[in-house]
Amino acid sequence: MRIKQNLQNFLFDQEYYIDIFANNIHIYHYLDLLNISDTCIKLKLEKFTLEIEGDNLCISSMDKREILIKGLINNVRFIR
Amino acid sequence: MKSYLLVRIKTTQKNNLLLKLNKLDVDIKNISYENESLNFLIRAEDLAKLKKYLLSYKVEIITETGLFKLKKELKKNNLIITGLLFGLIIFLILSNLIVKINVIHEDADLRELITLALAEEGLTPLSFKKSYDEYEQIIANIKEQYQDQIEWLEIDIEGMVANIRVEERIINDYEENYNTCHIIADKAGIIKSIVTNKGILEVSINDYVQKGDILINGSISLNDEIKKNVCASGKIYAEVWYQVNASLPMVKEVSKDTNKMRYNFMIKTKTKTKETVLLKSRIDGEKRVENKLLFSLFGFEFYLQKEYEVIKETYEYTPKEAEDLAIKLIEEKLALKLDDFEEIIEQKVLQKYVKNNNIYIDMFIAVKEQIGVTQYFDESRSDTNDTDDNNHSN
Repeated sequence: MRIKQNLQNFLFDQEYYIDIFANNIHIYHYLDLLNISDTCIKLKLEKFTLEIEGDNLCISSMDKREILIKGLINNVRFIR
Repeated sequence: MKSYLLVRIKTTQKNNLLLKLNKLDVDIKNISYENESLNFLIRAEDLAKLKKYLLSYKVEIITETGLFKLKKELKKNNLIITGLLFGLIIFLILSNLIVKINVIHEDADLRELITLALAEEGLTPLSFKKSYDEYEQIIANIKEQYQDQIEWLEIDIEGMVANIRVEERIINDYEENYNTCHIIADKAGIIKSIVTNKGILEVSINDYVQKGDILINGSISLNDEIKKNVCASGKIYAEVWYQVNASLPMVKEVSKDTNKMRYNFMIKTKTKTKETVLLKSRIDGEKRVENKLLFSLFGFEFYLQKEYEVIKETYEYTPKEAEDLAIKLIEEKLALKLDDFEEIIEQKVLQKYVKNNNIYIDMFIAVKEQIGVTQYFDESRSDTNDTDDNNHSN
């Protein structure tokens, strides 16, 4: 079943995914950008709101579905 | 090709601007934050959206990439580019143009003839150069068209000049100068058959003639007075004799198939005879090859090659076999020289012996052969057999 889900996700791009690296975070399939500041960025996803806390946060690239945020990430919170 | 523009927007409220851009669904990349501005890459088609909805911001284009940059560069340097392109075209045209055709020969008529022939083939001043094959074709066409005038022709392109080297064909028009002739015997023999077309026949069947005897006379005389001179024509067949010898080795090497066969592939160009075998041959020793054409493509011919392994064996003839073979060889060689009405009448082995594994054979052969040849003479001179007269053999 997991294979089927993964395949659907790959083909239809329905699900989100979040990649966290040392100094950046990549979010795929976000719905809306709610708030930006140097210390906190809030993103709306399908089933929750993602709150990223850190220092010197800035957006490096952004398009309709994807966003790449750079900076020192201290906390990633899911608000349901 | 996606075109991106690097833009700068002056603002102190960078986060607000980013939120607005997000609302406008504008894709932005490589965002860099500066003191009072935000630099980022946007797609060229999103620029109109920015200018329409972000009226309060000053959008400044820093650089362009892709097609936009190319267009801009082309516009900026259009004079240079046009000049370069024009120069390149002129260079290409000039380097492929023939401005002068230089026919090298001392005869003005022949030069004019060649110039006209070349013009018919499309090789004129201010025409484009052609390929080697096309020049070869032109040469072949002209040589065929003017085969009586041209012996040899060469087209040599030196820069923008075509040098045409030509050799005139000189035809010996001796026959036209002297239209009176005899038919004389080329060899000694006994006359066996006579065909006379013109002239007075001087011999009859079973007459023995020597070399140089007049067979058909071109001078028609009455009461020892020459009435008319013509060019005698006809064919005189006589029995002539040859003594020939031949030698043949008593052993020969023959190839015998071992029933071992392997396939291979071979490529050959149509114009050249060079054969390229694609796979390494799997037959190490002696082999015999058969080729079968599979298909032709772009001037290349692809063959399926069958390689048969063969072994060499030595075969020794019996004396009778060797003798028969030697006689056959002599007959075949002689038959090549004979026409349809000529034939071998009789043959006899005079001597045969085997020495150093070779058979030597001496033969006497009687052949029915055409012995008449044309001898031209000057009708103003009475001595027709003078050696100063030019001989012309058919």
